[in-house]
Amino acid sequence: MDTKTIEIEGKTIDDAIEKACQEYDLPREKLNIEIISEGSSGFLGLVGSKKACIRASIMSIDLTMESPPKERMESTFTAAQSEKADVPRTEEIKESLAAKAKEKLDGILKRMGLDFPVHVEETSETIILKIEGDGSGLLIGKGGQTLDALQYIVNKASNKNGKGRKRIILDTEDYRKRREKTLIALAEKLGEKVKKTKKPVTVNPMNAHDRRIIHLALQDDKQLTTKSRGEGAFRKIIIVPARKS
Amino acid sequence: MKDLVKYMAQALVDNPDDVDVSEIIGEQTSVIELRVAKEDLGKVIGKQGKTAKAMRTILSAASSKLHKRAVLEIIE
Repeated sequence: MDTKTIEIEGKTIDDAIEKACQEYDLPREKLNIEIISEGSSGFLGLVGSKKACIRASIMSIDLTMESPPKERMESTFTAAQSEKADVPRTEEIKESLAAKAKEKLDGILKRMGLDFPVHVEETSETIILKIEGDGSGLLIGKGGQTLDALQYIVNKASNKNGKGRKRIILDTEDYRKRREKTLIALAEKLGEKVKKTKKPVTVNPMNAHDRRIIHLALQDDKQLTTKSRGEGAFRKIIIVPARKS
Repeated sequence: MKDLVKYMAQALVDNPDDVDVSEIIGEQTSVIELRVAKEDLGKVIGKQGKTAKAMRTILSAASSKLHKRAVLEIIE
């Protein structure tokens, strides 16, 4: 496999990553991305703007499996699957991983007094556990916090021994899809506001998954750029009008 | 509740036998005390308390169903 490394500059890190993906003609998940410098738009987007710089190389198969993929990747599903067909041993580990994850989730739900059936769906990169809810929303919690907490614990508990990791996604009552729609609508609404007022708008702090949806929703809009500020749980998106070049 | 915390903690740590959970039951609020092996302390707390926070969220959801409150204390 080609293991050459290239350095790419972009307006933002997302921008640079996208360029890298185009360069290799591979999805982001298949690339090893190392951030050299984080770009900044400088003071009020006027002075001292700095370009983001990343170093990208193609990920080997082993690495792909060890690092949890950032996101579901339906688009590359078939390609990834044919690759994995050569390594049946790891496939076995993954099968048991799905069973282990389901068992952990069943155990937690039972002890929460929410004994709902769980359905397992598996793709080459993710395990999706769908909980058949009763529509009460108790499992989802405010802003999805209960569902996210369960997902986090099940991920931690199931991926404890590093090999054959897979990302586990929990869903109930189609919440993930509904949430995505809400976030895209929010992104578009705020995007319009930014265009109208020509002033940056900050979105509430969000987790990585939610931020990604917003970034993706606005990435094709040439009049806007999005970036993330802050650390850890306080990381939030800022939507700024693109500078005229 | 006690069972829930114990199950979650045992799933996370390397030494499940050393997980000890006790519950102080109050009228409205229960306090659940979790003790784990010293080397597993980081596992139940997590990066910036993320795991502990997740466990507390799940615990609140479970206890709100019973119209009660529960507080999780991790004892060093």
